[in-house]
Amino acid sequence: MITVTINGKEIRLEKPVTVLEAARSAGIKIPTLCYHEQLEKYGGCRLCLVEVEKMPRLQTACTLMAADGMVVRTETEAIADVRRGVLEFLLINHPLDCPYCDKAGECELQDLVEKYGPTTGRFKEKKRKVPESLEDPVLVRNMERCVVCTRCVRMCEGVQGAAAIGVINRGGHSHIEPFSGGRFDCEYCGNCVSACPVGAIMSRLHRHSYRPWQLVSETVTICPYCGVGCTLVAQVRDDVIKRVVPRIGTPVNNGLLCSRGRFGYEFVGSKERLITPLIKKNGVLEQSTWEEAIGFVARRLGEIKSKFGSDAIAGIASPRCTNEDNYVFQKFMRVVLGTNNIDSTARTGYAGAQAFLENIFGQGATANLIPGLVNADAVLIAGGDPTAVNPILGLQIRSCARKGGNILTIGHVKGVRHYSPTELKPGIHAETALLEGIVTALRERKGLPGSIQALESKIKEIHRPADDTARTCGVTEKALASFVEALSTASTPAVVIGKEVIQSAGGSYNLLLLSAISYLVNARIHLLSERANEQGVVDMGCAPDLLPGSRPLSYVEFRRRYEAAWKVPLPEKPGMTIFDMIDAAKAGSLRALYVMGENPVFNLPNAKGVEAALRGLELLVVQDIFMTETARMADVVFPALSWAEREGTFTNMERRLQILRKAVNREGMEDWRIVAEISGNMGVKMHFSSAEDIFAEITRVSPLHRDLSYEEIAKSGIYPYKGEPLRGVTGDIKIEKTTAGDGGGLFLGVERPLFHSGTLSRRAPGLVKIYETAVARISPATAAARSLKEGDVVRVSSAVGSLELPVAIDLSVRDAVVMITNNFEGRGALSLMELVLEPILRAPIADKTAVTIEKVGR
Amino acid sequence: MFSEAAVREIQEIRAKYPTARAALLPAIYVAQREFGWLTPEAYEAVSDLLGVPKAIARGVGTFYAMYKQKPMGRHVVQLCTNVSCMILGAERLVDFLKSRFGLEPGGTTPDGRFSLVIMECIGACGTAPAMLVNDDFYENLTEKSIEDILGKYD
Repeated sequence: MITVTINGKEIRLEKPVTVLEAARSAGIKIPTLCYHEQLEKYGGCRLCLVEVEKMPRLQTACTLMAADGMVVRTETEAIADVRRGVLEFLLINHPLDCPYCDKAGECELQDLVEKYGPTTGRFKEKKRKVPESLEDPVLVRNMERCVVCTRCVRMCEGVQGAAAIGVINRGGHSHIEPFSGGRFDCEYCGNCVSACPVGAIMSRLHRHSYRPWQLVSETVTICPYCGVGCTLVAQVRDDVIKRVVPRIGTPVNNGLLCSRGRFGYEFVGSKERLITPLIKKNGVLEQSTWEEAIGFVARRLGEIKSKFGSDAIAGIASPRCTNEDNYVFQKFMRVVLGTNNIDSTARTGYAGAQAFLENIFGQGATANLIPGLVNADAVLIAGGDPTAVNPILGLQIRSCARKGGNILTIGHVKGVRHYSPTELKPGIHAETALLEGIVTALRERKGLPGSIQALESKIKEIHRPADDTARTCGVTEKALASFVEALSTASTPAVVIGKEVIQSAGGSYNLLLLSAISYLVNARIHLLSERANEQGVVDMGCAPDLLPGSRPLSYVEFRRRYEAAWKVPLPEKPGMTIFDMIDAAKAGSLRALYVMGENPVFNLPNAKGVEAALRGLELLVVQDIFMTETARMADVVFPALSWAEREGTFTNMERRLQILRKAVNREGMEDWRIVAEISGNMGVKMHFSSAEDIFAEITRVSPLHRDLSYEEIAKSGIYPYKGEPLRGVTGDIKIEKTTAGDGGGLFLGVERPLFHSGTLSRRAPGLVKIYETAVARISPATAAARSLKEGDVVRVSSAVGSLELPVAIDLSVRDAVVMITNNFEGRGALSLMELVLEPILRAPIADKTAVTIEKVGR
Repeated sequence: MFSEAAVREIQEIRAKYPTARAALLPAIYVAQREFGWLTPEAYEAVSDLLGVPKAIARGVGTFYAMYKQKPMGRHVVQLCTNVSCMILGAERLVDFLKSRFGLEPGGTTPDGRFSLVIMECIGACGTAPAMLVNDDFYENLTEKSIEDILGKYD
C-alpha cells in the first residue's frame, strides 16, 4: 500500500500510479494539456507541475510515480506563476481566433487560460502564420492553433498504428503534418481529432455549423457499419447529427472509432432518403400513402398465398436491421405466411462458416471477446485484412503486436505490414495446400489432444509434408517452419478468419483446416463480420433452418416450444436460402419476395442474373431507406426509418447485445412496424408498441436471450451468451475438397475497403470523398505484363458481365488477381461474379471467377 | 528507388543500431546523397527500407538544419557567421560570395553549381572564418582563398 498526501489529503493507493492519477482518483484537479489517458506519458506541456516536499524543483505530475510518504501540493503561488508563464508562452503563437474557431467552448487551452492564464501577454512579436490546410477532404488542419502537445501524433502512431502524421520542423516552427504536407492519405480514423485539445485538427463535416454548447442532444448508440459494434455518441443540433464521437470506457472500442463510424453518418440526413411509400403503377413507381401501400401488399400476399401456397413467398431479412426488426420479420414469414423461406446475406459467408465451426466446437465457438486479442501471444490471420473489414478489431491485433505478440498471416495483409508479420504468401488458389501443410506440421509437433474425435479423424486424413507444401504453394520450407514454430509455441493464440477463405472453392475444407489449426494450438476463433447485425440476423432465426436463438428447426421439441409461444403450427420443411430464392424466382416457382433492408440485386453475385430472376416475380416488396437497385424493380417500396431514428438491439460478432438509441426524429415507421402493420392488415395482429416490447417476447421464446432486459443490457452492453453450448457437436463433419491450381489467367477478387461498406457508405459524402470511385486494382507485375499504367481505363469482363474501370496499381494485390470493391453504383465486383455455391457452406465461391482485362482508353 | 549499393549501405548502417529509428539520421544522409535532396521519394525509400513510417522519417529529417529540404546546387557551401567567424570577417566573405559568384545566403547560383547555407558554429573558432564545401572543411578563409577553393569544384 502506498500512501501519499496531496494538498493535505491522505490518499491510499492499491497499485503504483502517477501523482496525477492519484490526485484525480481523489478528486483533485491538476491541469494538463499533453496528458491523455489513452496515450503514453509525455511530460511535454509543463502545466501539471506540482510541488513535492524534499524535491528541489517542481515536478510533472503526469510522469512522476507516487511514492510512499510523498507530500504533494498542487495549488501554490509558485505553481500558479509557472502555469501563467507556460500559458503565456503558448499564447505567443496561438491565435486568439476563438470567435470563429469550432473548438471554442470545448477547447482545453481556452479553459486553461480562462482559469490559470495571464490576462495579457508581454510578447510584442508577430504570431507565426501558417495557412489553414483544406487540402484534405474530411480533415482540416489549422497549425497556427497547434500547441505541439503531440497527442495526435501519439494517438496516430501508438494507438491507431497508422503513423500518418508527425511533428515537422523545430522549435517555434514545429507543427503537425501528414507525410504529403496536405492530404492525410491515412486510415481516416479521425482519432487525432478526438485527441486534439485545441482546434488544430478538426473534422470538415458540418464545419462551422454548430457550437459545442449547441449540441444539446447527445445519443449513445451503436455504430451501423461493421460487426464489431462500437459504441458511438451522436451529437445533434436541430435534428441533424452534427458529429459522431467515441467515448472512453465503452465496451469494444473504448474511445476509438474508425473512418466509417466517425465520418459515415451523413447518410441519415441525405436528401436521397425515401419519404413516402411508392407503388408501381403502369410500370412506374408512384407516390402513395401508407394505408394504400400496406393494404395493397397485405392483399397481394394473401392472394398469392392462397393461390400458390405459402412456399411461393419468401423473405430476405437484413444484417443492417435490428434484432427486433428481424425477429418480427421472420415471425411474420413463419406465422402469417406459413413458410420458412427466410434468409439474409449472412448466407454469403458468415452464417455458413459459423454453423460449420459451431458444429465442430459447439455454439459460441466464434463468440470471443475482441479486446481479448490484445493479450494473445500469436494471431493467425487468414482470408482478409481485419484492419479494413473490422477496423477496431484490427487495432487490437496491432496492440497485440506492440506488446510482443506474433502476427502470422496467410497472404499479404496490408494493415499489419508495419508490425513485422510472419507472412506466408501462397500462389493463387494454393491457400488450401498451405493450410494442409501447417496442419500436418502442427500435428507432428503437438500431437492430438484427444477431445474432439470427429475432428481428429479428419485431421488424421490430412497429410502434406513440408517439402511438398513449399513446392506447391511457392513458399520456402524455412518460412513455413518458423510460421509453425511461432504458432505451436504460443500459449494464448487466436485465429482470425475472413471471408476470402470462406468464399472459396474449397471453403468448407479451408474452414476444417483452420478449425484443425485452432484445435491443435487451442486458439480462440474470431470470424470477421462486415455488417452490424450479421450475428443478430442469424440469431433471430432469419435462416431457412433456424428458429430464434439459432435453434435448429429440425428438432421437434424446439419447434413445439415456438409453436406454443406463437400459438400456431409451424411449417416443418426447411425453407429456401437466399440463393435458392433467386433460382426459384427464375424457375417461376417463387411468386412473391419481400425484402427488408437488403439490396440483393447489388449484394448477390451475378447482378444481371438476379435482376432477371426478380423480374419474373408477381410481387416484389422492398423496405429501405434509399432507392436501391432492388427497390427500383419493386412493386411496392416502403421508406424505413434509419439506424439513427429508432431503438432496438444489435448483436455484434462477439455475440454482445447492445442497444441502439434514437438520435434524431423523423416521421415514418421502423422496419418492424411496417411488417406488423401488414400482418395486422392480413388479420394477424402483432401487439407490439415498441422495440422493447418485441425484445421482451424474444427473451421469452429464445433460449439464447432468456431473462434479459433492455435495462440490463443498457447497464454494460451485455454479453448474453452465457457460454453453455446450446447445440451439441453432431459428430459428422462434412467437407468438400477441391483441387488447387488452375494456372494462368486472371481472377476476380473482392476488395473490402476500410472506407466503404456496401451501399450505405455510398450516401455518406465524407466517405465518398475519401474513396471516390471504383477502380480495378492490379499488381505491378499484372500491369507490366499488359503495359497498363495507373489511370488507364480497362474493361474487366467475366462470363456474366463487364465493367469499365480505371486501373490502380497496388503493391498489396496479388499477381493474377483483379480487385474491385462492391460499393459503387453500377460498378460492383459482384456483378462480375458467377453464382456458384460451395456445396457445404452454401456460400458463393468468389475466387474462381475468371476475368480478362483490356485497355479501352486513358 | 535506391541503387543496390545504397541499399547495402543502409542495411549496414541499420545493423549498427539497436532499433530502426536510431538508424534514421545516417540513412537520411544516404538518401540525400542519392536523391540530391530530401524529396518525398527519398523519405519513402528510407521508410520502406528501414520499416519506419514515412511521416516519422520526414519529421526527423525536417528537425535538422543540415539536411537539404529543397533542391540545391551541385556543391553546398556552408559558411559560419557566428561570433569568432564574424569578428574575423565572415560577413565580408558573405558579401564577396554574392558579388563574385552571385551566391546569396539560402540561394543557388543560376548555373546550379553552388548553394550557400549560412550555418551555425562548426567548432573552428581558433581558425576562423571557416566553412564546409560539401563534406570538405576549410579554415582561415580570405576572399582570395575562397576564390581558389571554389575554383576546384565544378
